[in-house]
Amino acid sequence: MNGTPHVLNRILVAILGLLMTASGALLVLLTSVPSVAQWWHGWSADVYQRAAYLAEQTRIPGRQESWLWVAAAAVMVILIVLMVAWLAQQGKGRANLIVADYEDGTTPGEVQIGGGVAEQALKAALAGRADLAAVFVATYEVKGRPGLRVRVHPRQGVSPQVLAAEISRLVEALDIVVGRRTPVLLHIAGGARARFSKAERVR
Amino acid sequence: MSNSTSSVTSGQDAHPQAGNSASGTPADPGVRSILRRETRSSRALAAGAAAVLVIGVCVYGLLESALRAIGQQPWLIDPQTAAERLVKLPEGISPLLLGATGAVLVMFGLIFLLNALLPGRRARHLLDDPRVAVVVDDEVIAAALAKSARAAANVTQEQVMVVVSQRLVVVNVRPTSGVPVHEQRVQSAVEDELRAMAPSPMPAIRVNVAVSGVVGA
Repeated sequence: MNGTPHVLNRILVAILGLLMTASGALLVLLTSVPSVAQWWHGWSADVYQRAAYLAEQTRIPGRQESWLWVAAAAVMVILIVLMVAWLAQQGKGRANLIVADYEDGTTPGEVQIGGGVAEQALKAALAGRADLAAVFVATYEVKGRPGLRVRVHPRQGVSPQVLAAEISRLVEALDIVVGRRTPVLLHIAGGARARFSKAERVR
Repeated sequence: MSNSTSSVTSGQDAHPQAGNSASGTPADPGVRSILRRETRSSRALAAGAAAVLVIGVCVYGLLESALRAIGQQPWLIDPQTAAERLVKLPEGISPLLLGATGAVLVMFGLIFLLNALLPGRRARHLLDDPRVAVVVDDEVIAAALAKSARAAANVTQEQVMVVVSQRLVVVNVRPTSGVPVHEQRVQSAVEDELRAMAPSPMPAIRVNVAVSGVVGA
């Protein structure tokens, strides 16, 4: 439930994987199959000749180097910037406000409600429960709208449907307090935190 | 909320608005796409590794070409020599090293490729709720089903093992020696619990009662 660009991630990771697999396979074939080595000699020498010719043609006037080097350096700089931008996209989407554009005729000015209100209210409401090992609440922005993400780690054997219904009622109470329905994702999670806590025998 | 005149914090005001705006219900396309993403694994880790790898290669290439452009000694290898070596490839390097390098490249490439192409379905089910979008780890479902199976079979926690997958729930019960377990009763108890839970997709149930019992449980 965050702004990670999932389609872009898949495409770029697939491209890199394909390139690495292809070059690795070429290296393995070069060592093991002599005819591939023959073909590689002819093909790569041809490419090298053409590149050398191109470098001759594009020489900077008065100097020995070709401006292709500058172009290659520029491409690499652009690539680095793009990669950093891509990295910065991962997992972003945390928001601060759950209500930002509150409009009603009676209140002068603008009302903003911080995500901390909902987070603290839900955490406090769930804090005393014996059937939960841990509770996490965070505010995220989903498609430009704020939403809440609630993750609970129940102890072993707790019925998830009962837990979901109870948290759903808490969220409805929160709706009344905040005055706006925010999308809520409830993740009832297992994991080590639940597994190593004692099982709930009596409810 | 735009044209209401009463106080915004009163419950009577907020509720009708909440009722007909219908945003935030699981039928909402935004929430549905969140739920779809929550049941698939994230590629953020692979994406981060890929980006760092490309950045590293680019920084190295930049360093070597910059050193060449200002006429300095290369750090490891100068680009032209590297290209000449590449052209002559099967010679000039031990075949074992070359093959091993290729194999490692293929391995990491396949890891990236499969990470990107496989569906990466997570072991999670969805629950239906009128207000909240609910995702449940299969582990939690298994623990809840194990609890009801344990109560129905009247055995200890260690004698029941439940495996939950996308479309099948397998309940394995090892009875206490000398005390018969009614398979039908376990089946109906687990069925009742699963029906009350109503996970989607709804799995089928299979109950296996072991032939040999546990002594002294």
